[in-house]
Amino acid sequence: MKRILPVEELARDERFVRVRMEERFNDPRAAAGGTAARVGKGFRPEARNAPDRARALMHGIFVGEIQALEGAGRTVWDFEVGKGKEEVPFELKLDMARQCWDESRHCEISVKLGDWMGTEIGEFAESTFLYEAACNPDPVLRLTGVNRALEGLAIDVFNTMKDFGAGSGDPVLEFCEDWMLADEVTHVKMGSDWLRRITEKDPERRANALEFQRVVDKLFSGGGFRGEGDDSPIKLARRFRELAGFTTEEVDDIAADSVESRREAEARIAAARAGT
Amino acid sequence: MAKVDVTPQEFVMVTFDAARIAELAAEVADKVGLPADTVLQLEVDEQEPLGRTTVLSIDPISIKVEGGAFEDAKRPRQMSDRGIVDVLGRLLFRIKDRLDPAFGSPPDDGELTMQQQTAWDAYAVGRAERAGLPTQKARRLYHFRNRHGFSDVADAVFARLWDADSLTWAEIETACTETASAREAVA
Repeated sequence: MKRILPVEELARDERFVRVRMEERFNDPRAAAGGTAARVGKGFRPEARNAPDRARALMHGIFVGEIQALEGAGRTVWDFEVGKGKEEVPFELKLDMARQCWDESRHCEISVKLGDWMGTEIGEFAESTFLYEAACNPDPVLRLTGVNRALEGLAIDVFNTMKDFGAGSGDPVLEFCEDWMLADEVTHVKMGSDWLRRITEKDPERRANALEFQRVVDKLFSGGGFRGEGDDSPIKLARRFRELAGFTTEEVDDIAADSVESRREAEARIAAARAGT
Repeated sequence: MAKVDVTPQEFVMVTFDAARIAELAAEVADKVGLPADTVLQLEVDEQEPLGRTTVLSIDPISIKVEGGAFEDAKRPRQMSDRGIVDVLGRLLFRIKDRLDPAFGSPPDDGELTMQQQTAWDAYAVGRAERAGLPTQKARRLYHFRNRHGFSDVADAVFARLWDADSLTWAEIETACTETASAREAVA
């Protein structure tokens, strides 16, 4: 069986349509201030379009769960057991196998949650950024990119949506998010623990991995989408991140990057509106 | 068949087709039961990827939509026939209600509570489905539950609104009062 399966070869049926990140980032409407103009509006149940925004976000989580399953499965297969840079400890593979089981369950939960919310499978485009981060040939970078950065983002999303479900009185959404959140904390903790253990005697590799994580984190704090401000749609879940092995300084850095990303987006909007 | 004017005629940020939008809008107007001499003005803000819609006037009918309302959720910047029909079916049934003196006098759209809005939408989209337009009943039910409560009472009221063919504004208000009582009882 092939190692490092390219994203184009992931199996999907005709319901799923993929959208490349470049397509989203190169949307001329964003450059013109259209999309970004409302970035930063909080994600509150009382907003008129809140149910549809929640449906779209949870569909994004659903396809993310499929890719997380595929990514963890590939990590079990792609690396031999050993101590080399392209090898991994057997116990890491066991952790990834356990994660596959969790992600499978999350896929099933997400399908049923979609039914509950009136969402069709494949109703929204699928972004494949999670699986793409899971194709990194260095297992440590793969773990920091997926388990720490993207599963960390999942912690923020699940915590936000759990509160959203409680606020809108939706018991199914609230409980689904709570249960998946518990697993995500474990997955991020696995990433934190393996990063420390594998790079214990290799500070340069650790620095590279953390830099890769920061790039991924910043990408998904786009325009203040995720942050600590009252009007950030997705709130940084500080407490759960600490439980998952993030230091206070690391969470501070994510919050600071989000603020910077927000400023950059606002500057782009201002420039677009000024016609520069 | 209704006469539809779409602006702009040429889109530069999205790959929308003004002629196709006009064709679909005219078909929807017919299915809704608006008079054949209806004039419909549709303004599409292609710069906005969100999906807000605003009825600017009902006589003549003038509607402004953000581009996202007509966009394919799977294919950024591409037009969705289904989306156009879904959005216009709901709006035109509500406009038809406003034009009917027997319906009563609902507040302006901007004055509607979210409960009134979703109750009226359930009534409008239910009729759209029976008129042969594509709809998403489960999605509408989820919207309704978000505003009227996740309860058996809310579900029963939704079913009644969805299945109705001839309601008045007073009956929609009564439906809202019913679900409000159920929410208060739980609280």
